[in-house]
Amino acid sequence: MTLPALELRHVSKTYPLKTGGGFFPRYSDLHAVRDVSLILPQNKILGLVGESGSGKSTTGMMALRLIEPTSGTVLVGGTDITALDHAALKPFRRKLQVVFQDSYSALDPMMTLAQIVAEPLHIHAEGSPREQTEQALAWLDRVGLDRSYGSRYPHELSGGQRQRIAIARALILRPTVLVADEPTSALDVSVKAQIINLLQDLQAEMGLSILFISHDLSVVRSLTDTVAVMFNGRIVEQAATEAIFTDARHGYTRSLLDAIPALNPRDRRQRQFLTREQIEASTPRLAARDLAHPATPSDIPQLVAVAADHRVEAIVTP
Amino acid sequence: MIPFILKRLASILLTFMTVSVIVFLMMHAVPGGPFDGNDMPVSKEVRDKLMASLGLDQPLYVQYFKYMWGVFHFDFGVPFQSPGETVVELLARAWPPSLILGGLGVLIGASLGILLGITAALRRNSWIDYLASAFATLGLTIPVFVISMMLILVFAVWLGWLPAKGWGKPNSWILPITAYAMIPMATYARYTRSAMLDVLNKPFVTVLRAKGLSERRIIFQHVLRNAALPMVTVFLPMFIGTATGSIFVESMFRVPGLGAYFVSAINLRDYPLEMALILMITMMFCVAYLLTDIAYAMLNPRIRFAGNTR
Amino acid sequence: MRLLDVQNLTVSFAQHEGVVQAVRGMTLHVDAGESLGIVGESGSGKSVTCMAALRLLREPPARITADRLTLGGTDVLKARGADLARLRGRVAAMIFQDPMTAFDPSFTIGHQIVETILAHRPAAKSAVRTEAQALLTRVEIKNASAVLNSYPHQLSGGMLQRAMIAMALSCRPQILFADEPTTALDVTIQAQILQLIKEVQAEFGMGLVMVTHDLGVVAETVDRVLVMYGGKAMEQGPVQAIFDAPAHPYTRALLASIPGRTSGRQRLVEIRGASPNPANPPTGCPFHPRCALADARCAAEMPPFQSIGPGRDAACWRPQ
Repeated sequence: MTLPALELRHVSKTYPLKTGGGFFPRYSDLHAVRDVSLILPQNKILGLVGESGSGKSTTGMMALRLIEPTSGTVLVGGTDITALDHAALKPFRRKLQVVFQDSYSALDPMMTLAQIVAEPLHIHAEGSPREQTEQALAWLDRVGLDRSYGSRYPHELSGGQRQRIAIARALILRPTVLVADEPTSALDVSVKAQIINLLQDLQAEMGLSILFISHDLSVVRSLTDTVAVMFNGRIVEQAATEAIFTDARHGYTRSLLDAIPALNPRDRRQRQFLTREQIEASTPRLAARDLAHPATPSDIPQLVAVAADHRVEAIVTP
Repeated sequence: MIPFILKRLASILLTFMTVSVIVFLMMHAVPGGPFDGNDMPVSKEVRDKLMASLGLDQPLYVQYFKYMWGVFHFDFGVPFQSPGETVVELLARAWPPSLILGGLGVLIGASLGILLGITAALRRNSWIDYLASAFATLGLTIPVFVISMMLILVFAVWLGWLPAKGWGKPNSWILPITAYAMIPMATYARYTRSAMLDVLNKPFVTVLRAKGLSERRIIFQHVLRNAALPMVTVFLPMFIGTATGSIFVESMFRVPGLGAYFVSAINLRDYPLEMALILMITMMFCVAYLLTDIAYAMLNPRIRFAGNTR
Repeated sequence: MRLLDVQNLTVSFAQHEGVVQAVRGMTLHVDAGESLGIVGESGSGKSVTCMAALRLLREPPARITADRLTLGGTDVLKARGADLARLRGRVAAMIFQDPMTAFDPSFTIGHQIVETILAHRPAAKSAVRTEAQALLTRVEIKNASAVLNSYPHQLSGGMLQRAMIAMALSCRPQILFADEPTTALDVTIQAQILQLIKEVQAEFGMGLVMVTHDLGVVAETVDRVLVMYGGKAMEQGPVQAIFDAPAHPYTRALLASIPGRTSGRQRLVEIRGASPNPANPPTGCPFHPRCALADARCAAEMPPFQSIGPGRDAACWRPQ
């Protein structure tokens, strides 16, 4: 079995929060991410879904070590990169790249597009300056922009075009893993489709593995192979994409799916909404013998396998 | 709020002490002493005796502690250049004119500047705006002694309406205060205008209009309140200039303020006066910043409730 | 009398680089109690249309002209200062996209709702505060009295949007404009807010204009849809008819490009090309550079926005 392109094992992130007190402030812990384990197989797209405060972006940033995990391990192609120092980490930075939601602030407004796209080559000292520029222009072409755009500046482009530049810049070093944090959320409907198709094409061509973070379930459905649903810092369900959409077991997943707007007016309906407490209380209770892999019964919710590739956070009863 | 103030007071004390040590050392690091000038040549024995009588022959740290001990008893010693009075008496004599000149200058200048800035912002890109901006630029670029000279020329010499110098009857205050007010006015006009424009462009102002509030209420209740925040930050520190008492204005108009003493204290190595002046300014800055922070916290709910988020 | 009657509305902006035509010749209407969704992408002019109806744009640089622009019977273009202020909030209210920046950060939510009511109807402050609290409860805010005394930065996006809705309803407007009210919100909150808007629209008997780029929002919420592109109206009709049988190629392409309609990983239907530049729009039909059916006439001549059936209009030389 080949090693996964990216793996997170029991990764957590905790922030100390000041909770008042004048001279001697008290702190409590904010658990942004709690014990998250994810496997991104090679050549696949994993969707990480959740709402604001779920911890999905923090998880993505920890995978890249742009935020340091409080505990847990991050493995790239089987190698543990969690504790590497700056110099040892650098070669791995080539393999891990990122595209963010806000393409406008992701691009240096003082640099031309060609310079922006060529910059990673420059940082990793690959090729002569002329070769770097040539590569950058070739990539502009590949993401659907005319090569003449190379001398333009970010503010001259539309949102969708800027996102293409961000993708070109991310992929020019031929990484093995791309973390995309809500890359289409700020884009218009017709442009969303273009960017999603672009990502799919590039993924297939380059054998790229993508961690696709999004709150938009519809986009995730068309793009990903597997989906992990996060709520309140934890993964509450993870399965193949279609299994999530047709056979969701966790109350939160179901409420997310329920909230998707109708695709046709005749499907519009009145909905009931769950409060946060109700969601926490809706953790499924499963008997140990019904599980695909054994698990010890406990009052504390844990992630268990209900099918070969379907995990749900549940309370396991004897 | 109280713990915040107490913490700040503690840090003010620390600042004060640190500044006093640094300044004391700097003062004494400058070569030469109070009796080395050529206008008062004295023989070596007389000089040594004079230095001993002033306690200047003792080790620096002794001098420092003696001085600071005095400071905490509000005894700042006797100025070398004016031995007939104590430093405190000199300050009591010379500070009020500077304070009046500077205080009124800043108050009047700032008020006019704010009005100018508000008008310019509300009538953006109109002739009023351009006039106000031009005026503001002039106030900042023409040196204050040139302005003083022009004022004297026009109002004292040509028109003869106001006295050219002195500091006695209130009509002798008008010209120096006008000259002094130019820079605060110009600064405030610019700050106010840009602060107002910043707020006017914010989305919540559109929402206020959409709610049907009158334009007047929007400007006076909402926009000014939000624009005041950046302006408050500069206001109190600007008052510090009053202590240094613009030396240019004071000398042009012969105002008997503190301005001149700042320079003479250093030139003449008048250690007691120097120290006193610098410590005084330090305290004024510290208090000004503390008051500014308090005012800012009162105006900005986000700072007030920092640490109490949901 | 139509609640909102817009005929041939044009909005242009004078910029350094030239004149930008944000809206070119729009015609639309809303009657009492009905809801209209205006769908378009960024740059289509949908938000500008809304803002122009309440004259919330800075004029200059904006220039608004129309054959007719009335709100609740009042001519909006002729209204001056105080009349305009009377219209806003009372006849028509508006909720905006980003609730976090829609409130004045220096005042409590309660203050901002109370001042809205007092601006239109003098009353005792305490009575008005009670009203404000009741409104907050009506928009499903649980601890209404605490929220009344809270500052905007202390509340979440969802809460603020509800508070904004409460504020908009406070003077019982006849028509509510909602400019992308859920774009900045999470998907479950979005569903709740949309449902809330529909409920209060029915309860208060208001007209509703919902501006959005999301066809799902439109499918859930409105009776009629108007599709905009390049500053012009492309198609208009009852929501079911638009979804089942879109006449304009742009509408059809838009519907086809919605992700997640069928199961599995797939390539989505793209609309090739990019949105038109409002400073330099294409000649003729603004969609022709990207339209599969475009011919020479489409490039040369703008098709008129005209009826193609009962209750349906389209601006196309080749409607289907």
